[in-house]
Amino acid sequence: MLDPVILAQILWTGIATSAPYVLMTVGFALTLKVAGLWNFAHAGLMAIAFYTMFFAINFLAVPVVVALLLAIVLTGAASLVIEIYGLQVLRDRGSGNLTFFIFTLILSEFIIYVITLLFGTEPETLFKSILSPVTIIGNVAVSDWDTLAVLVAACGLALLYAFLTWTREGQFLNAVADNARLAELYGISAKRAWRVVSVIAAFFIVASMYLIGTHGGVVPNSPLELILTAVIGTLLGGIGRVFAAAAAAVFLGLIQSFSILIIDSRWQNLLLYGVLFATILLFPRGVRLPRFRFALAGR
Amino acid sequence: MEYLATIGVLIAIYVILSSSYDLVIGYGGLSTVAHPIFFAVGAYTAGLLAIHSGIPAVLNVILGGVAAMIASVLLAASALRVSGDYLLIASLGFQLGLLQLIKNLDFTGGPGGLTAIPSTVTGAARTPFFLVVSGLLAVATVMGIRAIVNGPYGRAITAMRDEELAFTALGRDATSMKIVIFAIGCGIAGIAGGVYAYYFQYISPDQFEVLQSAAILTMVVLGGMGTTLGPVVGAVLLLAIPQAITFLNLPPGIMAPTQGIIFTVLVLLFLFLRPQGIIGLARKTL
Amino acid sequence: MSDSVNLTIDRGEILGLIGPNGAGKTSLFNLISGVLRPDSGSIYLNGVPIDAAALYRRARLGIARTWQNMLLFRTMTVLENLLIAPRSYPGESILRVVFAQGTVRNAEARTRDRAMTTLARMGLEQTAKEMVVDLPFGQQKLIGLARTLMNDGPVLLLDEPMAGVEGAAYETMQRVVREEAESGRAVCVVEHNVSFIRDLCSRAVFMANGKILQDGTVEELIASSALTELYFGV
Repeated sequence: MLDPVILAQILWTGIATSAPYVLMTVGFALTLKVAGLWNFAHAGLMAIAFYTMFFAINFLAVPVVVALLLAIVLTGAASLVIEIYGLQVLRDRGSGNLTFFIFTLILSEFIIYVITLLFGTEPETLFKSILSPVTIIGNVAVSDWDTLAVLVAACGLALLYAFLTWTREGQFLNAVADNARLAELYGISAKRAWRVVSVIAAFFIVASMYLIGTHGGVVPNSPLELILTAVIGTLLGGIGRVFAAAAAAVFLGLIQSFSILIIDSRWQNLLLYGVLFATILLFPRGVRLPRFRFALAGR
Repeated sequence: MEYLATIGVLIAIYVILSSSYDLVIGYGGLSTVAHPIFFAVGAYTAGLLAIHSGIPAVLNVILGGVAAMIASVLLAASALRVSGDYLLIASLGFQLGLLQLIKNLDFTGGPGGLTAIPSTVTGAARTPFFLVVSGLLAVATVMGIRAIVNGPYGRAITAMRDEELAFTALGRDATSMKIVIFAIGCGIAGIAGGVYAYYFQYISPDQFEVLQSAAILTMVVLGGMGTTLGPVVGAVLLLAIPQAITFLNLPPGIMAPTQGIIFTVLVLLFLFLRPQGIIGLARKTL
Repeated sequence: MSDSVNLTIDRGEILGLIGPNGAGKTSLFNLISGVLRPDSGSIYLNGVPIDAAALYRRARLGIARTWQNMLLFRTMTVLENLLIAPRSYPGESILRVVFAQGTVRNAEARTRDRAMTTLARMGLEQTAKEMVVDLPFGQQKLIGLARTLMNDGPVLLLDEPMAGVEGAAYETMQRVVREEAESGRAVCVVEHNVSFIRDLCSRAVFMANGKILQDGTVEELIASSALTELYFGV
């Protein structure tokens, strides 16, 4: 059971499978950090992203790159519209958290119902086949999908980190995340920051849905389940700590992977929720490892 | 006739659910979406007790309510330690987690659900009996909640919702009050669950998912949060409109999403154009 | 933030707390009333330490305060704002509402009388049924004070009660605060309005940068040129 090759395989597959969840969690956590909002509209955006690519590849027969671009444009536009005509309106009215929750959740449901009407409830994948060529490296099976997933996730994280740390726009996001009103006093537009974040989130959503859609079947309701992982990862990482949330998503993926060794696969999901419960009860402010001593974010 | 009576029972049960939910979010101002899970706790408790024990039905339903109340206190006490906003996510996690547990345990019937819950009343008298019982419970719920929110207790709840800090500085324990309101609302939902289990004699986990949360939320938002009749109007609408749509005889693949679209659009429209709902007064805003 | 503060307020005394913005005056109030917890040190009420007590418990012990932004209950009337305010209220226990209706009714009636009397002291009985948010600013401030006075405890903390208030409301507020002190309460007032402090306070304390710089009569403080410089900035 403790065969190093098997362990290595599980480790690699676990990391690769968690890659799309990392991307989705990062988008979600970033929105929470900067806008202070648990944005469940991301589920609807995920559906838009997937089905746009699905439609483009399978019905419009365009190359994958075009499909991706189309998805980015549509998802980004939708995200922006939701921010400008939905979230900002509610903010101007001084609405409470529950209102935002109702709006984002119901909006996602609306989008998903429309998509159900248009596409039906059969599971769909982006390409006809989800089989991916496999290379054996040191006795471990590494599929092309695995490699792509890990690369995309790593690049996404690196780019985001660079953006947040070294560009002015990114630093504005940090300022608004800390204290929107104070940032405004210094001439930083909070509205602009929120709009920028909504577009960045769209990129992460499209990337994650591409990976998910090329790895397994997706139904219109899938995003609602997928977003749960993003929520759990964000909670574990600690509200306001985007990269910790990413690490948490990997951690969750690994737990699920390795738990195969010990428990029946039907308990997989339950394990996830067990972790969520434990988080809520024991680490409501996120897990704080001694190394990750970030300053407490504004929320 | 039987069909209409079933709709009647459903309406009554949903009036109980939406009114008790309104108590928690509309009056208490607590952010939570887990109402269906307490409905589920009541239903499963009553159902399991009915199948496995000789305890009389009325007691089972009450025990369902008590179980729901205990679960809600556990949730609220842990989540409110952190903050009021945290309750929202914690309640979502609690709902999904508990449902997952129910799906994976054998004695709850697993994902297939709990079947063959024994009947209390049989024969021709059954449907009218349940109609009367659920109807009376619905009326009792609405009037009971109304009694709570008028008078000094209601005043306290309103003040807590308006300015919690000032409220606390006047010597009130806001957290305690929130837990009490939450417990009452969820306990009532548990009792509704017990009645539901006995009437339909079959309950399954997917009857209590996030979609159900959205349905109850819709009833309260459309009807009007923080009002007595709002949840009632919302419950009637949400159950009556789909009935009207079935007459159009659309194929099932189209009908379900169409219903969903109609309701989500209605909620979104109300949220932006008339946040106080159908019944609500203009001065209350979300 | 407050740094190291040693302060005693006596019954029947009106202590003025003055100093530039950001000096830590409101923070001090927040520490006393329980909104903030101190990193070190203790707070005593009549010789009994109260640091472990939560915000709401301190209010029940009798620490009553007003707020800079008033924090009136927006969706309620003036009378309702006051009815919610006494320290203990039987009507707010579900059990008593159900089982002890007579007690609840009596308490309600008594509180209503007290509320109307308090409003009358301010000359505002006629506003009882109006929504607080509909009143002019000065009256709202008086209502804020009235609400705080419904807590009949030994301590009264007033956070900038005069800000934005003038004319009749100003006179009323001075009169009422003086009456409260005379009836044996320990009163502490944070104010920028120096004439208010001078008319009302027997003693004053000057704070800056979280510390108490000087403690004495108002005249002594005003006479100190070092303090005036600090107050009006250099």
